[in-house]
Amino acid sequence: MADEFNTEGMLDMYLFENEQLLEQLQEMVLDQKDAECFDEDSINEIFRTMHTIKGSSGIMMFDNITAISHKLEDVFFYLRESHPDNVPHLELVEHVLEVEDFITGEMEKIKSGQGTDGDPSEIIARLDQFLSKIQNGEGTETKELPKNVHEEPRQFYIAPVASSDSRFYKINVIFFQETEMANVHAYKVVYALKEIAEDILYSPEDIIADESSAQTIIEKGFRILLQAQASEEEVRNIIGVGYDIERVDIYECQAEEFLQGFDFGETAIDLESSVEEIEAKKEAKKEEKKENEIAPGDFVIKPKEPGKPKKLAKDKPKSDKATFISVNVNKMDMLMDLIGELVISESVVMQNPDLKVPGLDLTNFNKAATQMAKISTDLQNVIMSMRMVPLTNTFQKMNRIVFDVSRKLGKDIDFEMVGENTEVDKNIIEHISDPLMHLVRNAVDHGIETDEERKSTGKKEKGKVTLSAKTEAGKVWISVTDNGRGLERDKILAKARKQGILEEGKPDSAYTDKEVYQFITLPGFSTNEQVTEYSGRGVGMDVVVQNIQTIGGMLEIESKPGEGSTMNLKIPLTLAIVDGVVLETGTSSFVVETGLVKEFVSVREDMMIHEPTGDEFVMLRGECFPVLRLGDWYGLKGYQQSVEDGMMVVLELDGKTICMFVDKLVGKQEIVVKPIPSYIKKVKGISGCTQLGDGSIALILDPSGFIE
Amino acid sequence: MDEISKPKAEAVAVTDEHDTQKGKYMTFKSGEEYYGLKIQYVNEIIGFQEITPVPETEDYIMGLINLRGKIIPVIDVHRRFNQEPFEYDDRTCIIVVDVKSTVVGLIVEKIAEVVEIQEENILPPPSISRVDRGQNKYVYGIGKVGDTVKLLLDPERLLNDEEQPAAEKTNELMVEGE
Repeated sequence: MADEFNTEGMLDMYLFENEQLLEQLQEMVLDQKDAECFDEDSINEIFRTMHTIKGSSGIMMFDNITAISHKLEDVFFYLRESHPDNVPHLELVEHVLEVEDFITGEMEKIKSGQGTDGDPSEIIARLDQFLSKIQNGEGTETKELPKNVHEEPRQFYIAPVASSDSRFYKINVIFFQETEMANVHAYKVVYALKEIAEDILYSPEDIIADESSAQTIIEKGFRILLQAQASEEEVRNIIGVGYDIERVDIYECQAEEFLQGFDFGETAIDLESSVEEIEAKKEAKKEEKKENEIAPGDFVIKPKEPGKPKKLAKDKPKSDKATFISVNVNKMDMLMDLIGELVISESVVMQNPDLKVPGLDLTNFNKAATQMAKISTDLQNVIMSMRMVPLTNTFQKMNRIVFDVSRKLGKDIDFEMVGENTEVDKNIIEHISDPLMHLVRNAVDHGIETDEERKSTGKKEKGKVTLSAKTEAGKVWISVTDNGRGLERDKILAKARKQGILEEGKPDSAYTDKEVYQFITLPGFSTNEQVTEYSGRGVGMDVVVQNIQTIGGMLEIESKPGEGSTMNLKIPLTLAIVDGVVLETGTSSFVVETGLVKEFVSVREDMMIHEPTGDEFVMLRGECFPVLRLGDWYGLKGYQQSVEDGMMVVLELDGKTICMFVDKLVGKQEIVVKPIPSYIKKVKGISGCTQLGDGSIALILDPSGFIE
Repeated sequence: MDEISKPKAEAVAVTDEHDTQKGKYMTFKSGEEYYGLKIQYVNEIIGFQEITPVPETEDYIMGLINLRGKIIPVIDVHRRFNQEPFEYDDRTCIIVVDVKSTVVGLIVEKIAEVVEIQEENILPPPSISRVDRGQNKYVYGIGKVGDTVKLLLDPERLLNDEEQPAAEKTNELMVEGE
């Protein structure tokens, strides 16, 4: 009967929510992996996360996820209640990550429309083992623990994210006796309440899978404990009184009562029971507990002996809740495209030849046009900022990789993130994730030596991988730095010579370090003799470079033998709209990014220096710069020959300056970057194309292609 | 397995019957001959418009055109066949084809007509063709329409160079890396 549900929307919601929960979980776990144990907040948080996942997976009937999250919940329940001292922290971290991986994997399967067929029993068995290990302790007093949590899940309640505005309600929904499938109706109520609920508990619990619950609901009513900020009236409205609901009783109650949960046993719900009574029950319970467990001191984290302070993760200030909605990326892309078209058609209007009729009074038109230009610029900025995503998540993933790989390889490695809040266009994030992962893996696997090796070479500090990001000059720089052995120039050169990449007769010393390091980005080039589990699995450095290049980025490699290497990725902030200068040469139009242009100069013939080889230079204010004639470079027709008739565009990039000679400047314009159709193979120095105001096409120049 | 494939086969047959495009060819003149392209590949035919040349490309790739905001490459069929280049004029047309999601414009001298060629009227190209003549490698069959023949083009071979498959192969080979 559950099949009759339309689970479409619910499924999306389920996946979305759980994905976020898992992401937070992972972040938190990795954040504290180097501490000696989780702090209390995190234990609660992990426990809560698992509880939520268990609950929602139960509703969606993903039994294996339910089972595994329940097991981890058990472990954390124990940690929470008993505060054991001797927990092998790293092992615990691994267990949590393992569970997280499992659930993520299953969710991937759900997404691709498969069933959840993963078998959690192995992980569960391991968790069981782990649990009994920490329960029995090693060398410490054995602790009695509240046995098997699952049998009385209603007894524990997770401290809610209590905001002072929260109100607590006991709700009893009574359905008409003749209602068919009361459990489904009850579920509808729960589903509606979830919208406002900060927390919700209901009884009977298993209303979806257990059809007999319908009978219980009819007989005893459907009991809900709700924590929400809504008023009683609002709650009532949400539940609504439909044809199926006879009566809704809502009682506002205190947090204490609420936390008590459905502590009513099998007797009918005692909604009116006073706080005192409940308090009394609670006290009684506490007494019981105390008898079972040992010293009361066990309820708190034991302070460590002085001189050995406990490493607890730092407290993070709770940030204000922002309101988010999730939007389909396709819609964003569509909006982006439309705004792109708008920018183009705006310039079509502004540069319309009809406006160039002499004697036309355009005062009002220009006023209106300026206003419109302002709005469309704002619009562009807003959509761009909407697409900007901080690199945090991507970096976090790398943290995980470092953790996994270093553990497996038995290397002790620190991971540091710098500037993870740098924001990048979402499209770009998608493209850099894989290359970055590869670079990080390389750093851990090949870059950093084994602990023994480090010791023997006299390296004192721990192995360390740093991932940093910064924005500079309209580009994002991401670098992966390790303090490992560095690249071995001789080894690379030898390999290159063997593969016939080096020019015959050119001595090794003639190659600069930079050139040598670039060799490792060639296809099929690996100096590592054996392929390990983590590297050489199909994505080579060449693919990294390819991926980076498709988004107009660059990879630079720096390395010092014995001290480590740095992989610098330089990528554009955004792919979509750039500020460009439109140039003309011959019959073709070109655009060059404004950020690269240093100045425009008209030069005289006597400022030119001609070398016998045909190379040209120009003297500007006592400095000599190489000249590149664009028309000549691309073999265009009908371009200006005399430097006095054209214009020199001084371009600066990567610390190099070149003068590009073009026929004339057309103007400055915001351009929407479109890729050159893939049918045309990549042309050096051209990174894309765009549509100009008159509808014609201009090619976007990428001067880094001119600099060899 | 059989049970599954059967209804599928039927479904295909049904759609084929209703497929009005089946067996129809867009024909155009290039040089002395008439060529045919399966009509499924043809998106539209547009008049000649200004082409923005892209430097350093094969000589038959004339450049880019702006097709209602979409930028697509155009190739000159004449040059592709190593025939003498011809002057573009008002009658020059661009056939926009979509081959496996690659949209390309083909500049042709003159559009002829849409003809229907039955399967049995299509012959394999003569086996003693000289490969280096250029155009034969793009022709997969010869269609008879009344007294005339149309050379039927394989659009994939028309668009892609022979190097293409080789390049793909190397991609596959690049499995191991640093």
